Amino acid sequence: MTFAARARDAIGNHQLHVALDRTTAQFGLRRSAAIATLDQFDAVRNQARAAKMQVLRTLGESLQEFERQLLASGARVHWAQTGEEANQIVVDIALKAGVRRVAKSKSMVSEETHLNGALERAGVTVIETDLGEYIVQLGNDRPSHIIAPIVHLTREQVGRLMQEKLAVPYTDDTQTLARYARERLREEFLQADMGLTGANFGVVENGTICLVTNEGNGRMVTTLPRIHVAMMGIEKLVPTMADLDRFLKLLARSATGQKLTTYTTLIRGPKRGGDDCGPEELHVVLIDNGRSQMLAGEIAEILGCIRCGACLNACPVYRTVGGHAYGDTYPGPVGAIVTPGLRGLDKHAELPGASSLCGACRDVCPVRLDIPRMLLALRHQAVEQTPQPLALRVGLKAFAHLASRPRLYRTAMSWVRRFLRSRASDGWIHDAPGMASGWTRFRELRAPAAQSFEAQWRARAATKSRT
Amino acid sequence: MARPRRDEEPHVSDARAEILAKIERAVRTGRIPGGEPHGAPAAAKTAGDSTLSNADRFILEARALGVEVFVEWSAEAVRERLALLTSGKRVLAWHPNRLPYKAGDALPGAVSGAASKVEQARADVGVTGCHGAIAETGSLALIEGSGCSRTVSLLPPVHVALVRRADLIATMGEFFTARADAMAQSANCTFVTGPSRTADIELSLTIGVHGPGKVVVILGP
Repeated sequence: MTFAARARDAIGNHQLHVALDRTTAQFGLRRSAAIATLDQFDAVRNQARAAKMQVLRTLGESLQEFERQLLASGARVHWAQTGEEANQIVVDIALKAGVRRVAKSKSMVSEETHLNGALERAGVTVIETDLGEYIVQLGNDRPSHIIAPIVHLTREQVGRLMQEKLAVPYTDDTQTLARYARERLREEFLQADMGLTGANFGVVENGTICLVTNEGNGRMVTTLPRIHVAMMGIEKLVPTMADLDRFLKLLARSATGQKLTTYTTLIRGPKRGGDDCGPEELHVVLIDNGRSQMLAGEIAEILGCIRCGACLNACPVYRTVGGHAYGDTYPGPVGAIVTPGLRGLDKHAELPGASSLCGACRDVCPVRLDIPRMLLALRHQAVEQTPQPLALRVGLKAFAHLASRPRLYRTAMSWVRRFLRSRASDGWIHDAPGMASGWTRFRELRAPAAQSFEAQWRARAATKSRT
Repeated sequence: MARPRRDEEPHVSDARAEILAKIERAVRTGRIPGGEPHGAPAAAKTAGDSTLSNADRFILEARALGVEVFVEWSAEAVRERLALLTSGKRVLAWHPNRLPYKAGDALPGAVSGAASKVEQARADVGVTGCHGAIAETGSLALIEGSGCSRTVSLLPPVHVALVRRADLIATMGEFFTARADAMAQSANCTFVTGPSRTADIELSLTIGVHGPGKVVVILGP
């Protein structure tokens, strides 16, 4: 199914529009209010951007230093070239340690690698503990927003889902719905043998893994189970703690409009000698899965993305079609770049086209990523990679020939003008012929003026010089 | 130089070498924009009334998050307040010698982080001190260590934190610098900024999902 087909479905889905309208606009307003509470927002953005680009330029060295620091803190480090390799590493850790139940905090990269399926096939039970992801799992659904996975559902839909799956009384009161989830998930936290998380940031200078959550599930899964596995893309590094401080200032403001997420957890290795709690083993899985490929080309900059979701909320296309239309883990403007980058442009050549290039994404990006530039670069590559239809190739060549010969061009255009005017009624063309019919399918085309601009200009100049 | 120890499974180190080689090639061709020179001093401060003291700022920010703040002027008053808040409740607390104001005296029968998970999960109130109180965000910094279990601020539905004036610090950045050594000694440092919350269902704010739904600060002398 193509993006266009999925987008058409989404546009016809009334529930989706109710849900998207209720949320994306809110997100944008909250973000604006939150960045007003930060002095020199743009200076902080510039510094954050510089830090990320520095990490990318020195990614090999940065990763090796990060690894050294992790090992020194007692963590174990694994490297995975592909999503399947990453999943296999996690499955192996689980099987080796006799893990039966995994409690997961929200992790985009584990969505990207389809970890849950791999664990379940190995006989390990996986429970999502972020409220949104838990509801996604209950409904066998897919997340549709980077930070608000069920932005596509209304509270009524959530109420009916819980009624059906958990055998609880129907309600559309969000407080009660959250309590249902809390009660069920509390048991899971206590029973899980392994906690699985992503990583919001990895600090190169000291091997700190930073996790932010609002619900506290991220703390639960890194505190109660005896093993903690953190999966992270190789690009998630920041150089220093001072950089981390800046990114934390930007992330929550851009994502949810908070000054800081409720829980900011900094992890350095597994449980230590005198500690009462914490995992005995900490595993960090560093995942490439297409990232080094992206780093090699025009879209390297997108690896600076901190997954705040601000560009989704700002994007007129996302706000109309929602996250599922993008067809993969990462939706919105960032997804239109990352998905072709991770999965191959040949399979997702149309995604970079899912943008009006209005630039709203670039304006809100906390790392000032030039998303429109990268979308254009991908469009360019897509055109070069795919054989274009004969009519288009010949047509463009003919047009180039015409356009570089002024006399011929003027003659041709006067014929076109005459032809189009002959088809117009009341100054509008309602039904263009041939390949141009696509234009008039949903709108009308203004009929051209009787004379070309050039001719009118010349006539005007002549009149002026006479007076 | 000795090579760093890592998992010996062959596919793991193969993957490592492959990835690093790919990165080395990639950075030569990739379009990675320059930025402003890195390492410029952090200019980031939270906007707002800079004339406020750290204490006032902390109270203002914490209350805005829905944290209940009591200000007490003596150790005795802190203990009395704590006794009021915890009387008749099952209490999970940091070890008495890690709590300021001899607050352990006000918590007879409190369970510690060394108890079983299930027993800890039954507590009604968790009582902690703190290692820092960040004024600009109203956050409590809690560094894991002997007697300072993070389960105390996580499992019970109510978290009571005892904050000394000396714990107040303006920003998280300053805390990172000032407490760098203590953080390096610990496996976990958590910043608690208000009660547990979610907005996953239609962005409607819901308090108390997995962590405490109520956070109380007693700011002592």
